[in-house]
Amino acid sequence: MSLHESTTPPPAAKDYKSDLKPIWCPGCGDYGVVQAIYRALAAIGRPPHEIAFVSGIGCSSRIPGYTTAYGFNSVHGRALPIAQGIKLANPDLLVLVAGGDGDGFSIGGGHVAHAVRRNVDLTYIVMDNQIYGLTKGQLSPTSRPGLRTASSPFGSLEEPVNPLLYVLGYGAGFVAQGTPADMAGLAAVIEEAIRHPGFAFVNVQSPCVTFGHAEWQLRQHKAALQSLESLGHDAGDRLKAMALAQEYGSKLYTGVFYRDPLPPPTYEQKVRERQEALGSSALPRDRILETFVPGHTARRDGPGSGSPPNLGQEEQVGVSPPATGQPAGPL
Amino acid sequence: MALAPALLLLPSMNSELIVGMAGSGGDGVVSTGELLLTSAALEGYHGILTKSFGPQIRGGESSCRLRLSTRPVPSSGGTLDLALALNWDDFLKFGAELPVGGRTTVIYDSATGVAPDRLPLVGVVPAETIPAPITELARRFAGTDKAKNAVVLGMLAGWLGLGQESLSKALRRKLAKKGDEVAGANERAFAAGLGYAVANPLRVPRTLAPAVDGGAAKLLADGNEMCAAAALFAGCRFFSGYPITPSTEIMQFFAREIWKYGGTMLQAEDEIAGVGAAVGASFAGLKAMTATSGPGMSLKTEMLGLATIAELPLVCVNVQRGGPSTGMPTKSEQADLFQAVFSAHGDAPRPVLAPTSVADTFAVTVHAFNIAERYQTPVIVLSDQEIAQRKETVEPFDTGGFAVEERCRPHPLELEGYERFRLTESGVSPISEPGMPGGNYLASGIEHNEAGAPTASGEIHAQMNEKRLRKLEPLKQRRDLFRIEGDPHAPFALVSWGSTAGVALEALPLARAAGLRVKVLIPSLLYPVAEGVYERFFASVQAGFVVEQSHQGQLYRLLRMFTDVPRGVRSFARSGANPISPAELVEALRQAARELQRRQVPELEPVE
Repeated sequence: MSLHESTTPPPAAKDYKSDLKPIWCPGCGDYGVVQAIYRALAAIGRPPHEIAFVSGIGCSSRIPGYTTAYGFNSVHGRALPIAQGIKLANPDLLVLVAGGDGDGFSIGGGHVAHAVRRNVDLTYIVMDNQIYGLTKGQLSPTSRPGLRTASSPFGSLEEPVNPLLYVLGYGAGFVAQGTPADMAGLAAVIEEAIRHPGFAFVNVQSPCVTFGHAEWQLRQHKAALQSLESLGHDAGDRLKAMALAQEYGSKLYTGVFYRDPLPPPTYEQKVRERQEALGSSALPRDRILETFVPGHTARRDGPGSGSPPNLGQEEQVGVSPPATGQPAGPL
Repeated sequence: MALAPALLLLPSMNSELIVGMAGSGGDGVVSTGELLLTSAALEGYHGILTKSFGPQIRGGESSCRLRLSTRPVPSSGGTLDLALALNWDDFLKFGAELPVGGRTTVIYDSATGVAPDRLPLVGVVPAETIPAPITELARRFAGTDKAKNAVVLGMLAGWLGLGQESLSKALRRKLAKKGDEVAGANERAFAAGLGYAVANPLRVPRTLAPAVDGGAAKLLADGNEMCAAAALFAGCRFFSGYPITPSTEIMQFFAREIWKYGGTMLQAEDEIAGVGAAVGASFAGLKAMTATSGPGMSLKTEMLGLATIAELPLVCVNVQRGGPSTGMPTKSEQADLFQAVFSAHGDAPRPVLAPTSVADTFAVTVHAFNIAERYQTPVIVLSDQEIAQRKETVEPFDTGGFAVEERCRPHPLELEGYERFRLTESGVSPISEPGMPGGNYLASGIEHNEAGAPTASGEIHAQMNEKRLRKLEPLKQRRDLFRIEGDPHAPFALVSWGSTAGVALEALPLARAAGLRVKVLIPSLLYPVAEGVYERFFASVQAGFVVEQSHQGQLYRLLRMFTDVPRGVRSFARSGANPISPAELVEALRQAARELQRRQVPELEPVE
């Protein structure tokens, strides 16, 4: 599907801002995040109608509605599968995904690994506030040990998830962190994440003013943050990135932890290659039933038949099309 | 071959045969059934091959039932004409799935050592019992037990009178990859089996009469493949799902075919992601589908609610198996109707359709896409293991008779001040998609106003609920989603759906022959319940049955919830893997007729 060429002047940050008034508490870090997103999108310049912005459920997941993009405020924890469906359906779109730490690393935690390893070209922004704000202050998967909350009145008994290490561990090609306490830096990493071809992850330390730690707000962020660039970190080195990511929870590093110097092809690029390789072998729609003529060759057109060209480098395991559930007899 | 052409005209020939075979997983009885059916389809016969397995992945017991006929067959039929046991332990595990009666010819491997008068069949004396030297011939002519099924194939080719040429050719093709030695050994085993059948004709001949309609070749498909092919025909260009028995072959068909049509298939990390990616693809403008079975359906229900409130077209196939929970994954059941209709939280109506055969799976799947796109709603297709995994001959038909619908997208002029969820008279609002300038909106699981902005207004919520319900109303007027057969004024009736519908249809002529005035209603559309259709159908009805494969009789209860079901109409339902036969239905109708007569006798007494 080709998109319409925009003939209007390049959009400004305000063109990405919708008329909806955020429901966030005054002073919420997420105000800064949405501002940074407006700026990053303006720097990239794609018109809002070419952007799909997907979220799950949570305070931060309200964010697509505050932009003029095509938004999808879906169900809790499922933004990534929906976003992958969108991107695969229309690879020309710019697809953003956002949500909180609970949405991404608790209820939706099972999807992150697969989004990373598929390497669909998405930008995933997690607003990490270490608390469940929308339900009024329970433990989140990134809450620090011992934290007293509505659901842990005697203190948390759990160790937190480390989102940076989690995503690096599964092999993400772009991993960064930011805080609204450094707007310019945050907008820059979001922009770079969007430009990265493949799955890109930005963890944003976005404090909750209402239920979060009173001593870990934007003011403290400002004082604590250390830019990775200023430390002379080589973002092309995955192991060093992982070593720095270990400090999650004790140090506030900002900037790019890891950027794959040679990004591999994205999932949708590989899909397109396969579509092009096989496109000529389709039965016309009105002759589709011919696939059921006993002994019809089209039925054997799976990998292994030798007919489709260059199906790729992948090893073929157990492909004896079109086998059904029955274990093969000796015939 | 011993059967001379003259013999083919004998009146003792059968217009129809039901063959049941069972053995251990490695015995290849299913492959034998498939080869027989393929050969029969090419010769123009109609047929259905149902397969049934134990829960094991390899080994364990496996069986198949093959019904071959010169006429179309609506179901896999009842009692076997010919039962073939490679060993009795495995055969008996299938119980009512392989019923042996007094008219059955029983053939079994003499290597089992069971005496013909000591068969482990309680209370049945078969018409004829033949201990056949299956293992012996396999060893002698192929040097291996593995050729037992080639021996069986040869025997059946002889006794059924099916083309040995095509069978032996098919066997050779199937074994081509295994090398000349294996192929040669199997051919010798086949010839030995054939020779045995020729030398030992059955007392009750089981020869199949020649195919009637000039022997025109039939198509051959199972319900899962047919479902996927129909989806491609209907324009489906995105499939995502997760492997689950017995629906996996739908995904596998897409994995082979969808790329050729410029589409994409994703094997998701779980059932939720499977439906989620399909919801995303639909939001992005593609026709999308997911498929699963009972437990997977449970996992998908939250996402289906999202598709309902976000008004996104989506087709979700549930190939039903025995439940609840893991239940009986390899057996058929129709007990997910309540789940399909009621599993959503909130007021979330969604159309539910069910196919009745492999051929009908094409029509129903195309309808499902058209309904999903037209009304911007998830549609559930309730297939079942029986239809999904049985191989069936399909009379070639013209797909040109099926219209393919597209969702109503906004005209460029409508994009001025566009409101995605505009309250229209029909309840359907034009739907934009990313990439369309001016169509930008927020799709959401949260209740929203016409523009798509989140709302907590009770008034708007009620309006939107009403919109989402109202838009499905026209479905109830769709006559093409209901099949009615038999005498329109009949006092007796059967209502059935899914794979058991074929049994009801088959019972109809039998009941008529027994002197009963009966009609049958087969709904493809199970929900929303089309009250008017049932009202008219039941108007003449005094007694009858709602026939289905579930313990509670879910369609019966659903109908009673939404329509007036005559008191004489009762549920005829039983749990999965306990097949219902046409003869049982006729008997039940006869009984109902007797009861009715008895009740009506007082009215016939002269008054005063």
